[in-house]
Amino acid sequence: MKAWLEFSPKKVNKAIISDLMRDYDISFNIHRADITPKGGKMLVEISGNQSKEGVEFLEREGIHVSPIKRVVKKDEEKCVDCGACVSLCPVKAISNTEDWTIEVDDQICIGCDFCTSSCPTRAIKVTK
Amino acid sequence: MKTVDEINQRIKDGDAVVVTAAEMTRIVREDGAEKAAEEIDVVTTGTFGAMCSSGVFINFGHTDPPIKMTKTYLNGVEAYSGLAAVDAYLGATQPNRSPDIGLAYGGAHIIEDLIRGEEVELVAEAYGTDCYPLTELKTQITLDKLNQAIMVNPRNCYQNYAAATNSTEETLYTYMGTLLPQMGNVTYSSAGELSPLLNDPYFQTIGLGTRIFLCGAEGYIIGEGTQHSTESERKNGVPVSPSGTLMLKGDLKDMDSEYVRGATMPKYGPTLYVGAGIPIPVLNEDIALRTGISDEDIGCRIMDYGVPRRSRPPVKETNYQELRSGVIELEGQDVPTSSLSSYKKALEIAEELKAWIDKGKFLLTNPVEMLPSTGQSVNPLEIRRPFILVKDLKSKKLILAYPTDDISHVAKKMVQNNINHLPVVDDKHKLLGIVTSWDIANAVAKGKNKLMDVMTKKVIIAREDEPADVIARRLDKHEISGLPIIDKDNRVKGMITAEDISRLIVDGPDDEEEGD
Repeated sequence: MKAWLEFSPKKVNKAIISDLMRDYDISFNIHRADITPKGGKMLVEISGNQSKEGVEFLEREGIHVSPIKRVVKKDEEKCVDCGACVSLCPVKAISNTEDWTIEVDDQICIGCDFCTSSCPTRAIKVTK
Repeated sequence: MKTVDEINQRIKDGDAVVVTAAEMTRIVREDGAEKAAEEIDVVTTGTFGAMCSSGVFINFGHTDPPIKMTKTYLNGVEAYSGLAAVDAYLGATQPNRSPDIGLAYGGAHIIEDLIRGEEVELVAEAYGTDCYPLTELKTQITLDKLNQAIMVNPRNCYQNYAAATNSTEETLYTYMGTLLPQMGNVTYSSAGELSPLLNDPYFQTIGLGTRIFLCGAEGYIIGEGTQHSTESERKNGVPVSPSGTLMLKGDLKDMDSEYVRGATMPKYGPTLYVGAGIPIPVLNEDIALRTGISDEDIGCRIMDYGVPRRSRPPVKETNYQELRSGVIELEGQDVPTSSLSSYKKALEIAEELKAWIDKGKFLLTNPVEMLPSTGQSVNPLEIRRPFILVKDLKSKKLILAYPTDDISHVAKKMVQNNINHLPVVDDKHKLLGIVTSWDIANAVAKGKNKLMDVMTKKVIIAREDEPADVIARRLDKHEISGLPIIDKDNRVKGMITAEDISRLIVDGPDDEEEGD
């Protein structure tokens, strides 16, 4: 699953992520992170056998976990299926299908916005 | 051997065999060119790509009292009106005059909006004459009310094009799209085996008067396009670099926004995605063979757009099969590729044109004149003002600092020489970093003593063989006031500042250097 983890200022000094990694059978990928002494947010991908238990642990530790449903959306009207965005995506969330339609996978997208700013017809939107 | 007239008779009888260029590639591969020439009558091509050299001639109609428009703006985008009283040419790449909108909505977007039937605001200015007294107007127009709106594109459908990558350390925004640093991606533009001029590489059937599919309407080729060239190196009969071009014409009123779109290349500017499809009559075996060309057989050079010069160095020669696979190997790395033109739309256009011919509503034409197929090359524009390279600039005494230098010593050096930047080098004069008077102030404020701790290690540099204009752009882009000049071994040869560049603009190059 992909989720935003919200850290309150009280939690930023605790080694919660390393406890999570040590105690649960999960793999953990940090896509984005912006944490300062005033708190912050981290966009992560959690997978593995104990993801559910891992998320429960995070919540017990006082981290607000908000799973992401839809991140990226293609405007079918505006998109001309050129593919300018394909090579810019750092996580390969954008691809060509058999018939050369551009497809974006919101499960993989990390919301970096590189495609949205580079789209010639402004056809991709990332919602946060 | 067949003639265009014979093929047209078959189209009228409903007997013509029409295939797309992609289908023809398979047919020629499987059955051979001889059999394909007998069986196939027409091959339809297609392309849907960003074609900057596009625009529309508009006649607005006369007002009462009349006006001789000298400046015209459509939704804030200027159209050229140095024509008769109410004629103008709206170019696709013209940015919006409002700085807030700028590149986001330009000429190409107006063209799309007109085709969609949207209302567009017209503002015109004039100096007023006895016969045209009105000096300004503001009104709304729609495409159906215009007397004429004729798309005339001076250069479309390039016969092949380069692919682009970027070897520098920073992201570049170009007409070839966004190019990631350190050759992080490759972009390409041609529709490859579907592309019109790659299917008739010697212009055996295409010429002035060829009827075509243009943006959903019937259009015509009205001659070779600007920058048309014929002398490029060829591989399998097709040029491996940009060569032939077409000038196209069509009626905006018959066009469909499905096949023409306004777009903006980020931080580059507006451009028009033009959909064009050209039918190629299969008159003989040679033409059949040419239309059978495959992506694999069409060569393409990947150029380094990190070099902002007219001649960019090729990084690799590849082909469209490889480019279209999505990944290409460059210097040992797998690099993702992007098409800037829509292959999906190109296929749709070839299919649509095929359907028009199949239904008997589109007949082929014999060109009135063929396109030039030899002896055409593109001349560069030489700038009369002497071309100034960084190494031609008058260099001041070279002042350097060393990483172990004491801050107070460096401060003294700056004050004594009246400079704000100091390159930091090793004992062989190789560049390690740069330090500015601001860095020194910062060091004092934070109580740091050694230069090593305060210098900037990531330095924007100028090379000796780069033009001064390129450096001016670099200073501006990074909002810095000076950078070190280095030779090919990374040794510092001098400093160049914004002041040096502005002095160059005011005074021109040094007299002594003009003499040689």
